[in-house]
Amino acid sequence: MDALVARSLSKMYRGRHRTVPALDNVDMTIAKGRLFAFLGRNGAGKTTFIKISSALLMPTAGSVQLFGVDVVDHAREVREQIAIVPQEGKPFYHLTPREHVEEYLRVRGASAETARTRADEILEGMGMLPYEEIPAMVLSGGLQQRTLVAMVLATEAPFLFLDEPTLGMDPFARRQVWEVIRRAARKGSTVLLTTHYLDEAEQLSEELAVIEGGHVLYQGEAEALKSKVRREVRLQFGYGFTAQELASYGEVYAERNGLTLLTTRNHVEELTRRALERKIAVHIGPVTLEEAFLTLVGRAIEDEDPGALA
Amino acid sequence: MTWKSQANAIFRICYFNGFLALRRSPILLVAIVLTPLSFLFFLYVIAPRSVLPFGIVGGVMFTALFTGNGMMNDCAYFRLERQLQQVFVSSPLRPLSWILGMALSELAWTLPALVLFIIVLGLVVPVGALTLLALVGVILLTWLLSASLGFLISTFFRQLREIWPVGTVVFTSLSVLPPIFYPLAAIPAGFRWAAFVSPSTYASQLADHAVGLPVPTISVVPLLSSIPVEATGMVLLTLLFTLVAMRLARWREP
Repeated sequence: MDALVARSLSKMYRGRHRTVPALDNVDMTIAKGRLFAFLGRNGAGKTTFIKISSALLMPTAGSVQLFGVDVVDHAREVREQIAIVPQEGKPFYHLTPREHVEEYLRVRGASAETARTRADEILEGMGMLPYEEIPAMVLSGGLQQRTLVAMVLATEAPFLFLDEPTLGMDPFARRQVWEVIRRAARKGSTVLLTTHYLDEAEQLSEELAVIEGGHVLYQGEAEALKSKVRREVRLQFGYGFTAQELASYGEVYAERNGLTLLTTRNHVEELTRRALERKIAVHIGPVTLEEAFLTLVGRAIEDEDPGALA
Repeated sequence: MTWKSQANAIFRICYFNGFLALRRSPILLVAIVLTPLSFLFFLYVIAPRSVLPFGIVGGVMFTALFTGNGMMNDCAYFRLERQLQQVFVSSPLRPLSWILGMALSELAWTLPALVLFIIVLGLVVPVGALTLLALVGVILLTWLLSASLGFLISTFFRQLREIWPVGTVVFTSLSVLPPIFYPLAAIPAGFRWAAFVSPSTYASQLADHAVGLPVPTISVVPLLSSIPVEATGMVLLTLLFTLVAMRLARWREP
């Protein structure tokens, strides 16, 4: 059975002068037990999708089913199956991380023993044992975010919605959280996470979707997304070339130390030779998920508004 | 989740949002008791001694009404700023259990102040077991009424900035202007019925009845000064506020 099925899902926000589409006819399926990442720019529609799917927001049209249950008509049944880390949520200021985890589990119906055992596991897994008895008000922003993520992941709910779960965390903490998220998926939870960290999506997700302007541009594996943009190689040039000279070879964008070109393998030899003739430094590497994402979304923006990226 | 689990969840919320918060921030207790105690002090200094029992009962009622102010602030804060309402509602916990847990935790905050005022009342007028029982009943009714109203108002807020002006207007109108700290008899006879526009007047009159303080008749609508009518009025208003709040509550945004 699929864990989540969205069909023709739309959401319009009514502004003072016009209606803004946040989601436009979105179809999406997430298989049970999958670790799924949702990528998109700010305002692309990721959080709207999560809010509708977790019964926190009404759609304008279309439907979402969670484990075969409609989220609009049967919100109560859906809520029994889920747990959510909201975007920019914050913990109670006066409770410690351990109290957050244990009390939240007990409110959800877990026994004191289960709550204690799961709190031990999750706090250790997320490297929070040294802070477990410190009230959240004196914890750093990153540790507060970890507290919120810990209390939600400890639920082991069948479907976990994580809206930017590692926001504000340092690289070490992020990796610890990744491992706990992976563990939740191994235990059988389906995970839908949004993130702006493309490395996080690449490391964590078994499948991902890219959304822009309320439209899903891509759904599939990260590797397939890279090949979809039809560029395999990234060439980074020092100063010397102009963007116009390289434009016919692929996607060009300016960076701090020169130009970066995403191109195909057959151009590499020619371009490196030309760079060396003009004594321009050149670095070669594979296209990253971030570049594939930028290319895909960039093309969508250009299609909609040709002057937007100029 | 079973009803037993829901009840357990309500008490857990009361424990960590009420008792634990109070234990870790005792200043909350001072904040809650300070305003009614100040009113009582002014009455003690400037009013005749016969008004003092009304002021003490007023302190009890003001404190019970304060649960609504706390409810409004906390529910808006947890929904808009912390997004914890979303975390708790996206779970097997029923929305009504969340409201009751929050309301109970607000009551927990006010418990020490309520006990203090009842002790002071006992020093001024005789408070027997029946009187105490009646007073506790009125306090519980007032708490339910005020908490349901506080939650209802919290559902209208779209940003935190709106809370304090609205809260000040609403709860000053409820707890300072109506005859809470002064006897209803102080209002000219022909206008006493107007005080019953405020739901808190029903609460204070019931409390005065419970303690055995003189309650004047209402010339235009004499029924308003009867205990069953006042109690029924409070229950009906509580139900109305709760039902409207449940309907308007932003468990799911439109």
